[in-house]
Amino acid sequence: MTTQELATQLQERFDAEQGEPDGLASPGWLSVTVCSDRLLDAIRWLWEDAGYRFLISAGSDLRRERGKYLVTNLFAQDEHGIYLAVHTEVDPEQPSIPSITPIVPAANWTERELRDMIGVVPEGHPDPRRLVLADDWPEDLYPLRWDVEHGIKPPPSDCQVPREPPPEGSSVVPLGPYFPSLEEPAYFRLFVEGEEVVGADYRGFYNHRGIEKMGCSVLTYNQIPFIAERICGICGCVHSTAYCQAVERAAGIEIPERAKYIRTIMLELERMQSHLLWLGIAGHIVGFDTVLMQTWRMREPIMWLSEKLSGNRRVYGGNIIGGVRLDIPTEVHQDVLDMLDKLETEWKALYKSIPGDTSLMARLRGTGVLPHELAVERCVVGPTARGSGVAIDTRLDHPYAAYDRLEFEKCVHDGCDNLSRTLVRLDETLVSIGLIRQALQQMPDGPILTQIDEDIPGGFEGFSGVEAPRGEVVHWVLTGDENRPTRWRPRAPTYANLQVVPPMLKGSQLADAPINIASFDPCFSCTDRMEVVDMRTDDEYD
Amino acid sequence: MAGYESGLKVTQMTLALNLVIALLLGPLMAGVVRKFVRARLHSRQGPPVLQPFYDICKLLGKEDLRSSSSPIVDFAPIVVMAATITAALLTPMGMRSPLAGHGDLIVFVNLVTIAVVGTVMVGLSSASPYSLIGAAREIMMHIMVEPVLVICLIVAAVKAQSLLFWHMAEGATAGGMSISMVIATIAMLMAMQAQIGKQPFDIAEAETEVMGGAFVELSGPRLALFQWASFARQIVYASMLAAIFIPWGIDLAPPWNLGAHLLKLLGVYVLVGIVDVVHPRIRVEQAIKFFVIIIVLSLIGLGLAIGGY
Amino acid sequence: MLLSKLRQALICLLAGKVTLSYPAKPRPPEEGFRGYPEVDVNKCIGCGACAAVCPARLIKIEDVDQTTRRMTRLLERCVFCGRCAEVCPEDAITMSKQFELTSDQARQDLTHVCEVFMATCKRCGRCYEPATPLDRIMEPGFRHDQIDRGGDRCPYPELRAPDSESPSTDEHDEHDEHLDEPVSAQVAQVVEAK
Repeated sequence: MTTQELATQLQERFDAEQGEPDGLASPGWLSVTVCSDRLLDAIRWLWEDAGYRFLISAGSDLRRERGKYLVTNLFAQDEHGIYLAVHTEVDPEQPSIPSITPIVPAANWTERELRDMIGVVPEGHPDPRRLVLADDWPEDLYPLRWDVEHGIKPPPSDCQVPREPPPEGSSVVPLGPYFPSLEEPAYFRLFVEGEEVVGADYRGFYNHRGIEKMGCSVLTYNQIPFIAERICGICGCVHSTAYCQAVERAAGIEIPERAKYIRTIMLELERMQSHLLWLGIAGHIVGFDTVLMQTWRMREPIMWLSEKLSGNRRVYGGNIIGGVRLDIPTEVHQDVLDMLDKLETEWKALYKSIPGDTSLMARLRGTGVLPHELAVERCVVGPTARGSGVAIDTRLDHPYAAYDRLEFEKCVHDGCDNLSRTLVRLDETLVSIGLIRQALQQMPDGPILTQIDEDIPGGFEGFSGVEAPRGEVVHWVLTGDENRPTRWRPRAPTYANLQVVPPMLKGSQLADAPINIASFDPCFSCTDRMEVVDMRTDDEYD
Repeated sequence: MAGYESGLKVTQMTLALNLVIALLLGPLMAGVVRKFVRARLHSRQGPPVLQPFYDICKLLGKEDLRSSSSPIVDFAPIVVMAATITAALLTPMGMRSPLAGHGDLIVFVNLVTIAVVGTVMVGLSSASPYSLIGAAREIMMHIMVEPVLVICLIVAAVKAQSLLFWHMAEGATAGGMSISMVIATIAMLMAMQAQIGKQPFDIAEAETEVMGGAFVELSGPRLALFQWASFARQIVYASMLAAIFIPWGIDLAPPWNLGAHLLKLLGVYVLVGIVDVVHPRIRVEQAIKFFVIIIVLSLIGLGLAIGGY
Repeated sequence: MLLSKLRQALICLLAGKVTLSYPAKPRPPEEGFRGYPEVDVNKCIGCGACAAVCPARLIKIEDVDQTTRRMTRLLERCVFCGRCAEVCPEDAITMSKQFELTSDQARQDLTHVCEVFMATCKRCGRCYEPATPLDRIMEPGFRHDQIDRGGDRCPYPELRAPDSESPSTDEHDEHDEHLDEPVSAQVAQVVEAK
């Protein structure tokens, strides 16, 4: 199905108007507007009949521009390679919208976020508790509305987010908010009977840094990539790439070929170091510190190489709108290839030694089972999905950068357990090595940056998905007039994956809980990105 | 051997010797293993060999904070330390143990259990769920591991026809290895990791799961005492294994029998250290399955010993 | 099982000892590493290009009086992207190799204050805001040695003297020579906390 056929179908069935807000129709991308009465029908058709996967929803405050709130639900169809945005306009007098969570369970968090941040209430939501905002944030102050200033510190209110009560006969074991095996704050309340977990409740979003609000209120287009890169501590490059691609799409900027290859190489370097890092942490969590030490030793040359290529070990800072700032000159190609050869040798030795290790297998095989159906229903992404036999990979389904010119395959395992997820990551590291080799070979000469002479026009919509080490990163941008977006909505892969943790933990052993959570490679600070107040910021500097 | 009958002087010497081995050699051996086995296999520099002493000294010098008003927290560290030291004085460490005539296998097992009970009580006196889980796991592990120790020691006692450790050690040395003793030795070796709380049986303290288990609420001098007692306990178990189940070198002349014992200890420590490094932690129920097998194995050994093999 | 363990042990042992005695012997950063941004205060002309691109918005520019522009850098917020060094027209900013910036008084230790002596508009007494930073540098009157020429492009026409007239071409030539002179007339002063 092409986007044009889809547009016709949506028009016939649900009176969907194509091309709002900006009329951008390109292969692989469609944007339609549906009125809120027909929204549920349209969503039901997309979800149940047309095989669409839910990504995220975004609420934008367009009262200045159009006198409306705009709620955008984003979907992906992986077989046909289509991304779809379904917009619904909401009247500011009656800020509510029918909840799609009863149809699409994966929309649970994002609709709660809609209520917290914009103040559009999803009617009929099964769990309308506060999600993102802190407990002491006032009830009627919605941070992402344009008239709420960046950097305000309202007096604390005494709102208490109700907690799920534990089932009869079980006790509560807290995992967090600070827990030694979770490197970031996250608060799981495990309901435990003996050593068995019978349920779990999650309260997170402790790591708020106000990035979304900053992007829409104080930063400019070309400052955002560097802040976006800091959404995640491990896989930041995916965020800056996704953001730049989204803005480039909105503004119709074509970037040079060489820049595409450079982005691809940096993304794959990042994927390798992230997977190695994850394997080390997983080893540490099951008490196998030797794995931690050895995989991090193997990872170190990647970091040195990144430092050589980009000037920094982790946050490359290479992406800006229109291309990249850093070239990969021919002199360093040999260094890259040498590193890859060495890594491949060591990786294969490691790969051989793992499946025969019965004590490690005892911890990984059959634990943390995420059934295929649950993975599909909750729209999990990345190695988490591929470990449960869901064959989705943004690099192949919705190609970006230079991936459409490289040859590789999806790494899918269908064991649905911790072992499968481990094997997916092991395989992907080898695939990445191959991808970098191909990219280096094919990389054309030429400029790395398109000079942008005109201002980026306001009111356009841009979207991009990038396959991060942890799954699909999604950035949606609505351009604005003051040299900054009106709305910038990043979604980290953990946002989708983390929602499946409480149902997945049910019935597992308490001793397995840390590794089960870690097997998703959760990145809490990516998930928690949005909040209004940057506590570290001095007021005078804003 | 004649020296042992010369009375008080020797007893005082071995008393001092056992104390030094348990209290000073314990941390030192742990430091050696960390630096030369663990760090080596981790491809890293490793901490200084004396790091366990630095840690203990630092903790001893810290403010005495307590999270619970329960008197258990006052007494438990001292009781655990005292029980461990007494057990160390009962253990033959190269030479005849200083309290050899005053306590036997039964006293020893009781002392070891007192030490574990002290740890569990501290865990239970805290309100932290990690501490409670840690204490529960500690009991579970003790119930599974203790029978192995007891049955193996009984095998040695049956062979030596005595409940005194020195007789067992001498008997094993004189009688050579029998089938039952070989089986008991294997069982003891396999239980060793769990007895001293190393991987894959670091279940009760599992830092990444229950944050140190029963000790999570302890700090400062109390924690130091527990750690020190734990180092001493490792030496006691390793000595028991080295003296009774690896019966070589005890009949050498005095300085040499001590040397042989220390060598055997080092061997046990290195072996335990290597196994510790190359294993992940397993779950409680997996550990229980493993120990059921070992208990059955040691029971077979006991049957054979009673049968005279 | 045993084979697998031996393989693992072999991987470990073959690697040797790889960690460094870190604080004593740090690993030297690679060429092109972006560390602490160092500002050469003698080169800084106060154009503010760095403040305009800084993603962390850590450079505050304020004109404390008619002749002094103060640039305060709160470098504890720095994200080490190197954009400031990239856009600086005078190459006054370099990304050094220094990365050990931990401090128990980061706010004090990592605050860098640079005061640049600027010219004043002779007509209105204020600093004026040309369209871009580069225009500002080209603006007559921006540099201290050009004070005599300032004022004709002051953006506050209501304050302009009624008899204001364009400078003659002769004056232009005279001043073009001055443009090539070193920036000696600028007095730059650093107030840097220890």
